[in-house]
Amino acid sequence: MREEVAFRLNGHDVAVEVDVHRTLLDVLRDVLGEMGTKEGCGEGECGACTVLVDDAAVVSCLYPVCEADGTSVTTVEGLFEPGGELSPVQTAYLEFGGTQCGFCTPGMIMASVALLAENPDPSEEEIRYALTGNLCRCTGYVQIVESVRAAAELMMERPA
Amino acid sequence: MSYDYHRPRSLAEALDIAAATPGARFVAGGTDLMVQIHKRAAAPAALISLRHVAELGGIDNGARLRIGSSVTLTELQAEPAVAAGYPALIDSMRPFGSRQIRNMATLGGNLCNASPGADAAPPLLVYDAVVELRDRAGAREMALEEFFVGPGETALAPGEVMTAILLPPRAGDVRSVYLRKARVKMDVATVSVAALVEMEEGSCVRARLAAGAVAPVPKRLRDTEGLLVGSPLDDATIARVSTAAADEISPITDVRSTADYRRHLTGVLLRRALERLRAAPGEGVL
Repeated sequence: MREEVAFRLNGHDVAVEVDVHRTLLDVLRDVLGEMGTKEGCGEGECGACTVLVDDAAVVSCLYPVCEADGTSVTTVEGLFEPGGELSPVQTAYLEFGGTQCGFCTPGMIMASVALLAENPDPSEEEIRYALTGNLCRCTGYVQIVESVRAAAELMMERPA
Repeated sequence: MSYDYHRPRSLAEALDIAAATPGARFVAGGTDLMVQIHKRAAAPAALISLRHVAELGGIDNGARLRIGSSVTLTELQAEPAVAAGYPALIDSMRPFGSRQIRNMATLGGNLCNASPGADAAPPLLVYDAVVELRDRAGAREMALEEFFVGPGETALAPGEVMTAILLPPRAGDVRSVYLRKARVKMDVATVSVAALVEMEEGSCVRARLAAGAVAPVPKRLRDTEGLLVGSPLDDATIARVSTAAADEISPITDVRSTADYRRHLTGVLLRRALERLRAAPGEGVL
């Protein structure tokens, strides 16, 4: 069974005909060529595949692609600023060593973006809770938490 | 691993598709079923998505609190009527999966998946939750306690859908709490317990205890809770209750824990839960 699925992807309209049993993750990577989003466990545990659907963080490995129809999807590729600059969260992850091998990073960043949209000034505990579903096997979490905190400060300093 | 995918907009349409589609499964958030499919533990011929069925969404605070079965756990956490009247249910949502999972997973899905360790089940059992089930012939209500039949097994008939979870109104000095123990974050509970007491003049007049991951189904501890009624929440009563619970559960040994440890932990968590309820202010809920 194939169906056309149409949604906004990082601000652009896309429409693809897909096998209905595919996941959003599959379609992002294999059909749309957006390779930033990673498949880690494929079971919703590791968070590497985190994207935003209508601003809510979801694990795209468990998200049926048909459910993306009519929504707005944001992946790590969609975070660039208008001038092509990195977003504050990306900048902070780079500066504070929140990334090592990089595999968990897109998912970490998307979960961080969702957190900061909801809570612009999170405590360390709130950051750790928000990132419960994102596993890193390289750095541990200290520098990741510091990166999110730094991103919060960068964003609060910016004129609204 | 190929299957059809249907997105009905109404309950009638969903039930019609189910009747016409052998081997179809209903799916809501998909955080359990999609994993089973990926692991080839389930191979449905079709999925019938309940995400867009208007009748299954929303929370209605009427004579009973009516929580639509497709309400996500994130929506539930943000609902003032749940926080005010049913705090143990809110407590059970905090360690539930991750934010990504809670944004997708639904309350009805957690119950219909019928894991013995389903996080939402013990609190709902102590609140005397009733589930509303519907098929093409009509609707019926059932106590949640009756709904769980075995691991992964429920009282749902083929083609029947859980439409809502109904909670009776809170009245009097009712206090409730949920506690769980797991190895690490994101892990399912090793043991979880929920406790509810209604106090009158220092004495317990109504008690509900329930535990998860210690029996084939999330289990209301009827014999054990009976020991509380007519007693104060003193140390002797709490000790008696936490010991008695071991006789009412039938835990297994698995990768998370031994049966013996689960039995021990059930008593410890019940003692802590009751001590918390004793410390709660005279009015209101914990």
